[in-house]
Amino acid sequence: MKGSEELVRRLPNDIGGISAGPIQRTDHELEPWEKRCHALADVIDFHKILNTEEKRKGVEALGSEIVGRLSYYERWIVAFSNILFQKRILTPRELAEKMDEVAARDRG
Amino acid sequence: MSTQDTEHEHDRDHDHAHDEITAGDGIGYYETMEIAVRELLVSKGFIKPEEIRRQLEVLDSRTPALGARVVARAWLDDEFRARLLENGRKACEELGISFYDDTQLIVLENTDKVHNLIVCTLCSCYPRPVLGLPPDWYKNKPYRARAISEPRKVLAEFGTFIPNDVDVRVSDSTAMIRYLVLPRRPEGTETYNEDQLASLVTRDSMIGVVAAGVADPRTVK
Repeated sequence: MKGSEELVRRLPNDIGGISAGPIQRTDHELEPWEKRCHALADVIDFHKILNTEEKRKGVEALGSEIVGRLSYYERWIVAFSNILFQKRILTPRELAEKMDEVAARDRG
Repeated sequence: MSTQDTEHEHDRDHDHAHDEITAGDGIGYYETMEIAVRELLVSKGFIKPEEIRRQLEVLDSRTPALGARVVARAWLDDEFRARLLENGRKACEELGISFYDDTQLIVLENTDKVHNLIVCTLCSCYPRPVLGLPPDWYKNKPYRARAISEPRKVLAEFGTFIPNDVDVRVSDSTAMIRYLVLPRRPEGTETYNEDQLASLVTRDSMIGVVAAGVADPRTVK
């Protein structure tokens, strides 16, 4: 397919040097869950469960569509979940059931 | 539509979703996932809730004010500056700034011959122990993509114009090696003390996209 070579040559994170639009000087105060997600990343790094390089690779492994559509910390928590499955620390079923429980608790 | 446009549309969608959340529609999918992953890791004994709370406090304690103190000290104390350029992490630790991760810090000194700029093309590596978390633009595509190939154009978008006889050097951060720019001390600050100097040092000047603040005439005698 024409144009698909670029997807092969560059993984989603490998954007250094490509052309892009003007820099929008955006910033936002992290939402509480985003900050907790960051703290979680640091703590699991302290425990040698998941390091920075694994995090980056985990985000890259989500593929360009997910990388393009999810926000920064949304990408992170999805990547962490996948890595924790691969390391057999969590299972997909456990996470699905726990998410249902958390959502139910939130609905009160 | 460019990827850039898509990202911005997404940002708006995200903000919108957030408004709905705060209006009482319950927590979102990804927040639910964050809570679930954290609680599972706690219940399985991998992490403790107090470790998360402690790290939230550490994150809140890291702001560009710490980096500004390092820069001001380097401007005032030649021996400290030499140690800072030799080993950034050790010199910061001298000032009581702990590194909560395994990263090393390389401090890049701006001179009349060289202007430094830092970036992380692959993701968002940043000298968090001394500057806190990076701004969104540092993590977004345009800065990451363009900083290494057309740094002067990028700098111009920040209102920074580097003369052609000054080299622009761009350093690309990695998981283990982080950079901090030591900006040039503004002229007219010879009488300033450390606090006054630190007040001229902004986050963006330590990323290298702008110069340190010009001397405020109201504070100069």
